Amino acid sequence: MNDIDRRKLLKLLGWSSASLAVAGCGNPPESGTGTAEAYSEPGDFNVPGVGVYYASTCTLCEAGCGIKGRVREGRILKLEGSPECAISKGRLCGLGQASVQHHYNPDRLKEPLLRVNGNLQPVTWDKALSLIAEKTKDAGDKFAFLTGPLSGHLKVLVQNYVEVLGSKNHFVYDLLANKANQLAAEKVYGISNPQVQIAKAKLILSFGADFLNCWESPVHFSAEYAQFRKANEGKARGVLIQAEPKMTLTGANADRWIAIKAGSEGVFALGLVNALLEDAHHAKNVPASVAEAVRKYDKARVDRETGVSEEVFGRVLAQLRERSPSLVLSGPSAEGHIHGAQNAAAIMLLNVVLGNVGKTITAPAKIPFPQMAPAAGDTSALIAFNQALSQGRLQTVFFHGANPVFTAPGFMKVRENLKKAAFKVAFAHYRDETAEEADLVLPLDSALEDWGTHVAAYQPDGVQIHMQQPLMERLYPQGTRSLGDVLLTLLKQRRPDEYNPFPDYYAYLKSAAIKNKAAFKDAAADDEEFWYQTLSHGVLNVAKPEPQRIALNPGALDLDLPKPAEEDLHYPLRLVPSVRANFRDGRHANLPWLQETPDPLTTIVWGSWLEIHPKTAGRWGIAEGDIVEVISKSGTIKAQAYLFPGLEPNTVAIPIGNGHEAMGRYAKDVGVNPLKILDPVFEKSTGELALHATRVKLRRTEDNRTVVKDEGWRPGVVNTQMNRKIVATLAADKIKLFPEE
Amino acid sequence: MSITRMFRDWDKYRKASPSGDLEKDHPDYKWAMAIDLDICTGCNACVVACYAENNVPTVGKDRFEHGQTMHWLRIERYWNEADAETPHRGAQFMPMMCQQCAAAPCETVCPVGATNQTPDGLNSQVYNRCIGSRYCSANCPYKVRYFNWYDYPEQEVAWPEPLPMQLNPDLTVRSKGIMEKCTFCIQRLRAAQSTARTEGRLVRDGEVLPACAQSCPSGAIVFGNLADPYSQVAKLWRQQQVELHKDKQDKDKTGDNGGVRGYRILEELRAYPSVLYLERVRDTKA
Repeated sequence: MNDIDRRKLLKLLGWSSASLAVAGCGNPPESGTGTAEAYSEPGDFNVPGVGVYYASTCTLCEAGCGIKGRVREGRILKLEGSPECAISKGRLCGLGQASVQHHYNPDRLKEPLLRVNGNLQPVTWDKALSLIAEKTKDAGDKFAFLTGPLSGHLKVLVQNYVEVLGSKNHFVYDLLANKANQLAAEKVYGISNPQVQIAKAKLILSFGADFLNCWESPVHFSAEYAQFRKANEGKARGVLIQAEPKMTLTGANADRWIAIKAGSEGVFALGLVNALLEDAHHAKNVPASVAEAVRKYDKARVDRETGVSEEVFGRVLAQLRERSPSLVLSGPSAEGHIHGAQNAAAIMLLNVVLGNVGKTITAPAKIPFPQMAPAAGDTSALIAFNQALSQGRLQTVFFHGANPVFTAPGFMKVRENLKKAAFKVAFAHYRDETAEEADLVLPLDSALEDWGTHVAAYQPDGVQIHMQQPLMERLYPQGTRSLGDVLLTLLKQRRPDEYNPFPDYYAYLKSAAIKNKAAFKDAAADDEEFWYQTLSHGVLNVAKPEPQRIALNPGALDLDLPKPAEEDLHYPLRLVPSVRANFRDGRHANLPWLQETPDPLTTIVWGSWLEIHPKTAGRWGIAEGDIVEVISKSGTIKAQAYLFPGLEPNTVAIPIGNGHEAMGRYAKDVGVNPLKILDPVFEKSTGELALHATRVKLRRTEDNRTVVKDEGWRPGVVNTQMNRKIVATLAADKIKLFPEE
Repeated sequence: MSITRMFRDWDKYRKASPSGDLEKDHPDYKWAMAIDLDICTGCNACVVACYAENNVPTVGKDRFEHGQTMHWLRIERYWNEADAETPHRGAQFMPMMCQQCAAAPCETVCPVGATNQTPDGLNSQVYNRCIGSRYCSANCPYKVRYFNWYDYPEQEVAWPEPLPMQLNPDLTVRSKGIMEKCTFCIQRLRAAQSTARTEGRLVRDGEVLPACAQSCPSGAIVFGNLADPYSQVAKLWRQQQVELHKDKQDKDKTGDNGGVRGYRILEELRAYPSVLYLERVRDTKA
């Protein structure tokens, strides 16, 4: 193969510009663990009564945990974390556990559907694919592909396909993306995705970063958190302080939870910076211009704008002075405002002042294959896509891994705008809201039937590429297909010479892995052996990951935070659309285990609720169970009130995820969707939707129903321990320390 | 064991309290747990893992409202009543499952001997002996026994096709009229014990875990064999100065236990539970 062909091939396979690709041969293979065997050995499927574990990757959130699936008599029964994965290290969250219910879901799509006379009707795959070929023939820029976050070879194929059609419109949409955080990190640390060393911190001050539940890599962070908390004679117990307007699960685990006014997080952070710069050893970490710029954030301003008392401010300050290294985190509640990125930068500046950078804020390795690197997505992609739709610039649109009709705020009118595109194709697992609007619905294999490669955005240790492999045969072999296979088929129609060598997605992935095996640690010399090992272990470790570099430039930050927005007397409350780890943006609401697993803080099941502070509820005359109209300038929804003390009193919260109008029996007509009443407010430097900037008022209706929850039944009565020692609490300075094991 | 013989030799199986001689009571195995409430985050991963492992049905909103929930493992959440207006110190979480009491109050009231002690120290529930009197549930101080008011396999909400393909074939799906509860994943324990016996050894520490302990992202749940003094769980019980056979631990007699965090819930009821909890910690300087 000559050099040009080789380069082209590497691009097809997703390895382009990989300097590692030309490295020498790898080392001999490491020995496999007892239980891990490759799926490609079919004999293992039929050992009666014996469960066999196969490695794969969890796809339910972007953390990308390695998993092992227990297969017995050809059925996948249960998932566990994979001990070989640097992220999950053998653990798995509840959401990941529930992946099997996506696979066996009774409402999965089983055959392609085509809209005929307004109704979706069964159609063959051949007909569907030829229809796509016809509709995309001269698509060019009138074609768009809207996906959720993607990485690995599926991203390569999607992008290659969009490019082959002559379009530039690959929109990567993620409602829960943290773009403002990335931008701020870029400005403060010079890298957008720093590692946060939770286990090494002696103090964590988090502004709404729910790292134990749904922030970046929760399973990994939970393990780190355990190390952070454990105390022995050689190590003090780490202290967690959380400041946020609505208590998250991480906030519920804090030593000190601070109910801060929504949007004022930056002021609080700069108030701390101002106070800390009085210390010479802190002042030397930033240029004098910073000290000058933060002088106006004195105690009086912090007190006035954040609602945090001087006493609490003083305690936080004392803890920051006492405990080093510390770690300061910025999360969605600080970032979901007009000045969100500025808030985040102010928070991150604390790490610079405190000298945490290099200790608890570190640089991850570069992902050596840019084509495969994760496309994290954002909400500006949805805004751009929606704008193109509304202007009639898109004729043919594809969807995968995103349900904008459900997740887009009501004011965007996505459902109406979609009508302007003549041909809409949804690659989906269910008839969700977006599939219901599509002209062609193509059923995909479940994540446990499909092949794939994944590169996690948060890499705790070096760079790992995770392999996804089927854990059982297709449930609907005639009906569902792998998106990778479909894209290859479509690419073959256009570029037969380039893509015909790959009979299917599996062959494509296999040749891609083998072609570049020299880039990986301990790659076997024999290709088949290497592939077998890859599938057995489920992870490929990049042999020589190249470090990124932190470059601090605190002097260049804009530290002039806006004055707090004027109170709106007509809409006096702030709405937090809170994120439940189990539902994320609502795509997992149809899993019965997750509907029936109580929300950790409220213990409510099967529904939605409005969290309201007992004091505020008293003022509005609202009692638990009351059905309340929640009214914003952009719409009204009805939700059931639940009195919840973990709120800044001017804030109310409704969880995201429920309120589906479609998506099967477990999701449809359960609860309400707070996204529908969000105000059109945008983060000014990223253009992202400002999810925490909506203002609402309430109106009590005459209706009241029992809140279905796991805690005590009497409404309004705090779940009480009746003075018995059920959950006992000890002060940290009283605990007996044992020798380190 | 026949039920006739069990009732005849009842004293052999059912003790008012453990003897204090662990080696005598349980020469090979005594399964136990230790849960660190300072590390448990309340995330509910264990709860879902339990559904997945143990064929626990979902009951749906209406039945949940009527208290007919089936989750063998629940996370209880409390607030500090002194901080009712603003919970400055966060919430209080506790995983609560069958405590596998050594002198379980549920056992004495079962009219048919469906629940009794196993030689390895579990509080068993024999489904095909259970007649559904529900006395055991009424007598359980922890409220961790769950009754099948419905035939869930026949109920649309629990396992419509093809969800039954996920069911774990290592244990049954319970039918209407049967009491059920956490078993410490007995199917896993029996498999490990059987393998070990075949190989002429005892189960090694860490070789087998219940689903909750295996999934726990923060590793708050430690499980193992209390009869093995070198197991992690035995070390923790020893370190925390909690002894299985006592209804009041020596360290608690003086009022100052020196900051040792281990305790058992409602120990004074003399059920002698096999689950040790470690107190949640809060730094009051923060």
